[in-house]
Amino acid sequence: MEEGRDLLERRISREDLLKLAAATGAAGLVAGRTGLAGAARAELAKESGRLQVLDWAGYGNDGGQTMFAAYVKKYPKNKPQFTYMTNEADALAKLHAGLKPDLFRPYVGWTKYFATSGLVQPWDPKLISNFKHLNPFMVKAGQLNGKQYGIPEDWGFDQILYRSDKVKPKAKSWGLLFDERYKGKIAWFDDLEMLTIAGLYLGFKNPWNQSDAELKKSQNLLKSKKHLVRLIWSSETNLWEAFGSGELWIAYAWPNDWVQMKKKKLKVVYMHPKEKPIAWVGMLMLLKGTQRYHLAHAYADAWSSAKSAKWLEDNYGYGHANTLARPSSSDLMRVLQITNPRAVTLPNAYFDRDIPRRSLYAKMWEEVKAA
Amino acid sequence: MAVEGEAGVPAVSASGRRRTRLDLTAPALLGFPVVWLVAFFLVPIAIVAAYSFDIYSLFPGKHGFTLAAWRAFLHSSVYLGLFWKSVKMSLIVSAVVVALAYPVAYYLALSGTKRKYVLLLVLIAPFLTSYLLRVLAWKVILGNEGVLNSFLVWVGVRSRDHPISQLLYSRFAVMLVLTYVWVPFVALPIFVSLESLDRRLLEAACDLGASRWQAFRRVTLPLSLPGVMAGFLFVFIPTVGEFVTPSLVGGTSGYMYGNQISDLFSTGFPDWETGSVLALFLLAVVAVLTAAFARFLQVRQVTAH
Repeated sequence: MEEGRDLLERRISREDLLKLAAATGAAGLVAGRTGLAGAARAELAKESGRLQVLDWAGYGNDGGQTMFAAYVKKYPKNKPQFTYMTNEADALAKLHAGLKPDLFRPYVGWTKYFATSGLVQPWDPKLISNFKHLNPFMVKAGQLNGKQYGIPEDWGFDQILYRSDKVKPKAKSWGLLFDERYKGKIAWFDDLEMLTIAGLYLGFKNPWNQSDAELKKSQNLLKSKKHLVRLIWSSETNLWEAFGSGELWIAYAWPNDWVQMKKKKLKVVYMHPKEKPIAWVGMLMLLKGTQRYHLAHAYADAWSSAKSAKWLEDNYGYGHANTLARPSSSDLMRVLQITNPRAVTLPNAYFDRDIPRRSLYAKMWEEVKAA
Repeated sequence: MAVEGEAGVPAVSASGRRRTRLDLTAPALLGFPVVWLVAFFLVPIAIVAAYSFDIYSLFPGKHGFTLAAWRAFLHSSVYLGLFWKSVKMSLIVSAVVVALAYPVAYYLALSGTKRKYVLLLVLIAPFLTSYLLRVLAWKVILGNEGVLNSFLVWVGVRSRDHPISQLLYSRFAVMLVLTYVWVPFVALPIFVSLESLDRRLLEAACDLGASRWQAFRRVTLPLSLPGVMAGFLFVFIPTVGEFVTPSLVGGTSGYMYGNQISDLFSTGFPDWETGSVLALFLLAVVAVLTAAFARFLQVRQVTAH
């Protein structure tokens, strides 16, 4: 009862009114302000409780509060409640096991999978005021059949990080991850993407959809080079610790890892391999059947603002899809090529994409680790 | 004529009442644990078995009884190879732990020190801190810039640019940390079996001319074997499926069978079918080994008595 009265008494801002008007369509617009306010109150009254967010560690109340501060300010009674995902496979298992978040954030390689899984529904970009500032190429990557399933947010590259005072690469190539000279000083990433990287290195036409023979060759390459690898990392803190203490000299890494190692005053290079890096972007996705449709949009809007974007760039060392944002670090500007709106695609990088035979890739990667 | 008890109640009827009480008490005491065991052990195992045969799945798609995952596993040299690697690591750890724990337990139980329970408390004191912390502490010790390498640099055995880098993120690190973690666990059952030893047997052995070594070898050791075997199993069973320690200090070469099970369930693309097969295989092997050890223990106990 108390909660119901609170909802009815909640002040509706002009921005909310406009968003809700857009949501309710032309009829709502014609109905006039009084009618709209009633409709808006009714909509909001339906959307009660805390917004349920499934996200990665570091993006909730454990340090990522700035990303959704605007949302919390506007909807203090519907603060987000977080469940953490360790990867998309973990999120998938949680969703099938009955977890009911309102939104979650897989990366672009999984967008198509989730969009066709029946688990998610498209967003209404008209309800996200910052949507117009998002990188058009990344926005398009979040679409399927003309519908916006993913709202692009953080982005970056998979490249090679190495100690320039210890390592002398023969070439700017992914091959540095397989270089016999540095046995015991190399780190790979714990993901089936290593097969894609092997495919890139071996020069296959489509490393995301390798033939059986190609996949076998990629797997054999990884198996034959695994003895060089000291660590297959799955958590960045683990990588930073090992790289920072000199256990590792070469690693598959993200921009933030380079930023962190620079902070430790290590002489590091974030190498752009000749076979091209892989670029990725995090996509907020809206769960089908969410009871907090408008709140979820408001949350995505907060994440998409220039203020949140700049904070993300400055603190996490990733790029952000909001094109108005610029990081304070010129190093980061350079390595992310922030001023190039198509930095994530050719000719600069391969944009990560759907892997049609993902389960086979996963099985083969597990075999590499077990071998 | 009925035999009367102290209170004048016929003894027969009193013992009859006792029997009745016992009959009711046993199910009452066992009922909850049995229900617990069925609900949280047997039913989950049945569910995992259903996953392994693809009878049941969380994920949409065509499902039906199949032996495909079992067949693939039994023909996979990769998974079986990893299993044997883990068994070997676990056997080595168990043996080393028993070898280290036995003298400690022997001293505490048979030295006659008055402070043995205080010392026992000191032995198990590490359990007062979190398991994770104890494992992570080894990273501080074994790392390139860790305690051990810093010491070696300080005494001039190694240069700062050439530390012993294989201490951490290696199979050695996993076995070392597991040994450290499990020594107190194993010392306890050995201590109990040694403390319950009838000292008169040792005196008799000495009276019959046995040296201290002979008395140990032919009296103390055989009689403490049940404790040793129990301790060995205490280590072997959990370490063969261990995944936390290897994921923290193991690196690529310390990767174990337990890590593979965990990864099949949670990374890449969920493969709960194969993960379930691996988990059940581990369970079966451990069950068989436990049964074999239990039989051995009984035989030894009978022989000793």
